[in-house]
Parts: sequence; structure tokens; C-alpha cells
Amino acid sequence: MTDLLAGLGFVLTPLPLFWCALGTFLGIVVGAIPGLTGAMLIALTLPLTYYMPPTEAVTLLIGMYTGGVTGGLITATLLRMPGTPSNIMTTFDGFPMARAGQPGRALGLGIGASFFGGMLAWVALVLLAKPLSIIATRFGPFEIFTLVMMAMVLIASVSQGSLVKGLISGLLGMLVSMPGVDPSAGQPRLTWDVHQLNSGLKLLPVLIGVFAVSQIIADVVELDRKYERVKIAGKGILMSWRDWKAQAVNLVRSALIGTWVGLLPGVGASIGSVIAYTTAKNMSKTPERFGKGSEEGIVASETANNATVGGALIPLIAMGIPGSVIDAILIGALMIHSIQPGPTLFLTNGDVVWAMIAACLVSTVLMFAIMSASAGLVARVSLLPKGFLLPVIMVFCVVGSFALDNTMFDVWVMLAFGLVGFFLERAKIPLGPFVIGFVLAPLAEAKLRTGLMMTAGSITPMFTRPLSLLFLLIAVVMLIWPLYGEWRRNRGDTRVADETIE
Amino acid sequence: MPDGSNPRTDIGVCLLLIVVCAAVLWETRKIPPGSFEPLGSAPLPQAVAGLIILLCLVVMGRAWLVLARRSERPREDAGFEPRARDAAATIGLTVLYIVAMQLRLTSFAVMTAGFLFATIGLLVRFERRLLPVAAIVALIAGFGCQYVFTRIFVVDLPGL
Repeated sequence: MTDLLAGLGFVLTPLPLFWCALGTFLGIVVGAIPGLTGAMLIALTLPLTYYMPPTEAVTLLIGMYTGGVTGGLITATLLRMPGTPSNIMTTFDGFPMARAGQPGRALGLGIGASFFGGMLAWVALVLLAKPLSIIATRFGPFEIFTLVMMAMVLIASVSQGSLVKGLISGLLGMLVSMPGVDPSAGQPRLTWDVHQLNSGLKLLPVLIGVFAVSQIIADVVELDRKYERVKIAGKGILMSWRDWKAQAVNLVRSALIGTWVGLLPGVGASIGSVIAYTTAKNMSKTPERFGKGSEEGIVASETANNATVGGALIPLIAMGIPGSVIDAILIGALMIHSIQPGPTLFLTNGDVVWAMIAACLVSTVLMFAIMSASAGLVARVSLLPKGFLLPVIMVFCVVGSFALDNTMFDVWVMLAFGLVGFFLERAKIPLGPFVIGFVLAPLAEAKLRTGLMMTAGSITPMFTRPLSLLFLLIAVVMLIWPLYGEWRRNRGDTRVADETIE
Repeated sequence: MPDGSNPRTDIGVCLLLIVVCAAVLWETRKIPPGSFEPLGSAPLPQAVAGLIILLCLVVMGRAWLVLARRSERPREDAGFEPRARDAAATIGLTVLYIVAMQLRLTSFAVMTAGFLFATIGLLVRFERRLLPVAAIVALIAGFGCQYVFTRIFVVDLPGL
């Protein structure tokens, strides 16, 4: 409790509070511009945080994270274009409600729900992060290796699209992390005699390439896309007491779903929002209203996506396993500041951890205030001409990659991964598993090799240690489940076809 | 394809990935076996590259089946004309910008302003009424970036 209060005390001092507010505001603005995402903003901001103390850096980045998830609500409601993927479900009901003459109410429900989701997940973060980290300190190398494997399979299996493509993406991320001097053997591998590769491919240029440059290219392709726009009236932004009461069950249920989904390694806000929306529809007394402007739909989607922010920070802080793609970038931010994420983070860098937790709370409150006060203004920002915006962002990408080590090699790496990200997306290969694989592969490899050295090359402990076996079993189930679902669907289709013929 | 992707794109991307993984497998032949530990440096990259190749073959097989059945979805009308050429030109201009910086042809501000003017011009289809705005944005952003990154963030920017 003392540590938490100290963290809150730190974030509420003028400079960190300014960074938190700036981060939240920028996150909301960027989230509100279709095509730009919180992940892109955070990846581009990382180079600028070298010059800040780590506590202030994480305060800024957590603000961006919270703002980025929420900002997309504005365009999802007013333009039928989700600002970020986590707001897709909001589009289904937010836009019809706005078009029916209630844009302020649609936004108000979304803002109130986002606030509630963020707060409940923050409580879970405070209650669970430390106990989990204490449990995680007892993990041996095989437990950590199988946990990482489980995270990889989990994110591949729940990524939108096919499981096989999710796995390809994760494995490709792992492969990309392997060039460089092997820390166990001290010899270079996969360097093709390019000396710049001896230190491996750095996280930041790869992240900027995959998230920012690929998005710029995709946005240029879709530059002429037109959006239908609903103008917002100033009235009715805040949820009334009656609304809170009417939506209470939906709010709590969706927040719990969002927090739980966030807790699962590698699964982010988009999935949380989809599950909460579907559950709300299935439990609703008026499911027919979903997709036509249902208040429950907006509340479920927005509560859950914001709840994943706090939920996803739990595995990051407790185990060093990213709960979402943005958390993978946050791990990169910690590494840039020479902080090794993992179960001992509370002991080695307690100030940073408590600053993160406090920033999560303060940014949620700030998000609520900023969104309530300026949703209409932010909606106008979303109409900035992209022809002017995208080239400027490209300059930031170049400078951000260069500033890491003052080498042009990193800039070329960034550009190359921009193209890789663009083509992977064209083939519907999700980028989330790629980043998680890239961040977690070195940890997984190091633990596997340490474990094998301890057991003289035997992998038996992987199957005899209870936790390790549990993680493996979950991974296997997560691999088989989607294939089983596909088989059942195909069987159902065939049966329907047979019955039609008869 | 069930995920809505174009089977031809799937085949092209997977072929490219297979080539990359084959190159990785070839490169791992140079790695000597581990002397102090059981696993060594090569098996993991080999296993990962091998798995990617296997999964790519699965995706390609499915894509071929879709093509063979001619059940490829008709291209949906997106309601706008995709600007693929402009995207390629943007990448081309970025490459020129990076090369210019690598060769330190002139100051960072001038190179950035030039890149921004050319790229913004391209994206607004060189509309006459927007070109002066593009020039102003390019100059402000070019010289502004130089000021911010050198004076505030103390980055040693590439350029004269």
C-alpha cells in the first residue's frame, strides 16, 4: 500500500503528471485518426524516451496506451471507421446510434464504459500483479520456456484469421530475433558476414517498421477512401445515474471479461472487445437491437477494450510476458532503459513498476476528463488530411530508428520491416504474434538451453514438472481447439448440403 | 480463402518466406555444434525455419485448392481507387531520402524539406492550390525537426 501511494505521489507531481496527460491526450488524438494506432505512436515515441528517467518514460507511454485504446471510439461512432482495431465492435452500434441523431449519447456511453473498464482492471492489476510475480519467481527454466510457448500458441490461435497464419507470424518473429552473437556460445550466427548483424536486429527499428511504416504504406494505398460523417452535438456526453444502474451488470461482466482476456499472455484489446460484445448479445433481453444502435453493445465493447489495458499489464509486470502487442513494445521500452522485465521487477525496479501501476489509474481518470471535455474537438482532428500527415510521420520513423544508435543500418532495417509488415498484412498474416515472437524468443531460447544444461540434455522435466506440463497441455489444447472447430463447421456444412440434396 | 485473403497473395508471400527460411537453413550449416551445452546454436533456428516452411506449404496448398476450384471471391468494390503506385512511389522517395542522408548530401533540414515537399505533392496529386501549403509544411517540419532533434533531444542527425 505504501509503495502504491508512493507511485501515485510520484505520478501526481507536476512533470510526471504533465507526461501522463500529454501521453493520454496524444493517445486519444492518434487513436481517433483512422489508420494510426496507439502501437504506432508508442513505437515512434520510444526513441524520445531515452532522454527521460524510466519512471517518467513509462508514465508517458502508459498514458498513450490508455488514450490510444479509447480514442478510436470517436471515429468508430462518428465515421463508422474504428480508429484502432479494438474499437471495431463499437462501430456496429455506435455509428447507427449516432446516425439516428444521438451521437453525444453514443460517445457518452462509450466514454463512461471505458472509464469503468479501466478502473476495474486497475483494481485487478493492483491485487494480482505482486502475488503473481511472487509465484513466478519459483518458475524454473522449463516452466518459463513452456509459458512462452503457451503464449505464442495462444496469440496465434486467437488472432483474427487462420491459426496456421498466426503460427507462421509468431515463428517468423522468433526467427528474426535469432541473428547476432549467440549469448550462450559467444559465436555469431545467421549474420551472413554482415558485421552490423553481430548485435542482432534491434527491437525498435523492427517495431517502427512493422507498426508504423507498414501502416503508412497501407494508408497511402487507401488514401482516397471516403468516410460518412455524423456531426456531434455538445449535449448528452456524460452517462446519467440511470444509465449506470441500467448497465451495471453489463459493465461488470464486460470489465471482468476484458481483464481476464488481457491477463492471457499475448491476447489484446480486440479479442476482449469481441468476446464481451458477443457475451452481452447472448445475455441480452433485446439481442435483435445489436448492430442497430444497441446501448449494451457500445458499453460491452468499450468496457472490455479498456479493461484489457490493466489486465494486460499484469503478466508484463509479474512475469515479463506481454499481455498484448503494446505490452511487447513496453517491454522494449524497459529494455532500452536497461531494465530487465520479469518476476524480480518488483525487487529490482519497484519504483518503475509502481509508477506504471499509478500511471494506469491516473491516465484512466485523465482519459475520462479529456474525452468528456473535448470529444467534439478530437473528432475534427480525425479529419486532418492524411496526404500531409503521412510523410511527416515517415520522417519521424526515419529519425526514430536512426537516433537509437546513430547508424543508418537501423533505418534500412526499419524500411525493410515496413515492407515485411505490409506484405504480411496483405496476406492476412497477423502482426501481433510476430512481435510477441520477436520479443519472447530470446527468453525462451535462453531458458531452454539453461534447462537442458541442468538436465544434461534431457527434456523429461518439461513433462514431469506440474506447471510446465500444464502450460504444455494448454498450448496443445489451444492448437487443437480451432482445428476441431473448423472440422465441426465443415461437418455441419456437409450435413446441411446432404439434407438439401435429399 | 476462409480468412478473406487473396490466394495469389498467399502463394507469393509464402514462396518468399520459404526462400528466406531456405537461406536461413543454408546459413546454419556454418554454425559449429555446441561444445559446452547439449543444444548448440543451430538446432533452434533450423527447427523454426523448418516449421515455417512446413506451415507455408500448408497455406500454399489451401490457396492452390481455392484457385483450382475457381472459388476465388470476386473482388469487392471498396468504393475507392487503391493508390498502389503512389504507395510504391512513396517507398521510392523514402529510399532516396535515406540514401541522401547516408551520403550526407546536404543538411538534414534541407533533405527533409525536400522529401516532404515531394511526398506531400505526390499524395495530393500535385494539385496547384495545395502545393504552396505543401511547401510551407515541408519547410516548417524540416527546419522544425532539425531544431527539436538537435537542440532538445541532442540527436546527431545525419547530414552536413
